[in-house]
Amino acid sequence: MHIMEGYLPIEHCVAWTVAAAPFVAAGARSISRRMEENPRVKLLLGVTAAFTFTLSALKLPSVTGSSSHPTGIGLGAVIFGPGAMTVIGLIVLLFQALLLAHGGISTLGANTFSMAIVGPWVSYGIYRLARRAGLSLGPALFFAAALGDLATYVTTSVQLALAFPDPARGVVGAMLKFMGIFAITQVPLAASEGFLTVLVMNQLIAYSRPELRDLGIVTKTETGGIAE
Amino acid sequence: MRLIDRVAHHNRWRRRHPIEKLVLALGMLILDLVLPPYPAGPIIAAIMLAAAIGGAGVPAVAYLRLLLAPVGFVLAGAAAVMVGVAGEPGLGWHFVLLPSGRIIALKLVLRALTAIASLNFLILTTPVENLLPLFRRWRVPGAVVDLIMVTYRFLFVFSDTLEAMRTAQDIRLGYSGWRRTYRSLAMLTAAFLGRVLDRARRLEMGLAARGYRGDLPVLVDEGRPSWPVMGGILALQLATAFLSLHLSR
Repeated sequence: MHIMEGYLPIEHCVAWTVAAAPFVAAGARSISRRMEENPRVKLLLGVTAAFTFTLSALKLPSVTGSSSHPTGIGLGAVIFGPGAMTVIGLIVLLFQALLLAHGGISTLGANTFSMAIVGPWVSYGIYRLARRAGLSLGPALFFAAALGDLATYVTTSVQLALAFPDPARGVVGAMLKFMGIFAITQVPLAASEGFLTVLVMNQLIAYSRPELRDLGIVTKTETGGIAE
Repeated sequence: MRLIDRVAHHNRWRRRHPIEKLVLALGMLILDLVLPPYPAGPIIAAIMLAAAIGGAGVPAVAYLRLLLAPVGFVLAGAAAVMVGVAGEPGLGWHFVLLPSGRIIALKLVLRALTAIASLNFLILTTPVENLLPLFRRWRVPGAVVDLIMVTYRFLFVFSDTLEAMRTAQDIRLGYSGWRRTYRSLAMLTAAFLGRVLDRARRLEMGLAARGYRGDLPVLVDEGRPSWPVMGGILALQLATAFLSLHLSR
């Protein structure tokens, strides 16, 4: 749900950038620390960002005939943690804006907020909650990825509604309108993303256990979730 | 994407200092956001077009192709702004065309296309790696700049890999029907992630053998920005702002 270049008034661009800044700074600090502990992390996170960018070229079929791409945000947040995913997300958004005209430089702050901050943190939070509630890996991943996607799209709707309030019904009316429009494509997409995330994890468990263990070394806290 | 990379490395302004091109492009982007979209939009777009095609010698076809690629997204976004909701929530909710919607949408399309035209100038004349030293100077944490660099180096390799894997699946009918599409996509993603991680491990081994301790120093050909050129750019931007405000009155 990228907001296109030039779509937000400049005050909104600045405000969203300011809102995103502390999260990005915290994420940058956390990855710097991890990089100092282990120089390999730099390469690992770099290839992950390139991986996420490349994946966004894949089209995912959706019920209404529209298609969109898997974001991988849910998967990434669970594997690498939400802080690292914020920085990775920002880099991916930067390259999408520069190389694909998907999103924009002026809207980078707003897009970072919805996709690289709200998405990963919601996914991660849901995953932890679901696991604590005793859900097994599959359903926990499904809900984490799907709800992370939905949270992103609700955030984008709010951002657009604040920029383009409905003349009669104000911001709330505009928000419901944008959500209504996006729901047509985004609700099925969120479900597909959740579904795909589970399938990918199954494949990873089946064929790439050593890599998963490697990732577990990188993010110590997540080992419990993955080493099933 | 490959087109961008090729043009960025082979144009007349490739050796100009990146800050000059950055100030021109981002300055115009900001002007586009603050000035009334008409007449500022067409003026800025014309300047950027002239700078890219006439000045830097970017092939016109490449520039226009990149400008028109996102038009679908721009129009879809404008359509969403054009309509509003009417009726009581739950009972006969429907979309209506807002009275002011057409003008807002038109302004938005103009603004977005102008912004894309400005940004395309930057990306078509400046290779991404030339921007990284600037980030470093602006105190972007070194970890993040290194990450951007590693990411950029892998983008092209990875899209080749992914394309090859996808084609292999496709010619084996991996994308015939819904079920198979999802299954194939999951296999593709997982196998691709495996490859990517393997690649990172091999790169790390190669670097470790050369004494890698966490720093990735690269030699950059750093010139100095030319002050007359910078002055000219600022004068051009001031003139653009003045002219647009004057014409819109």
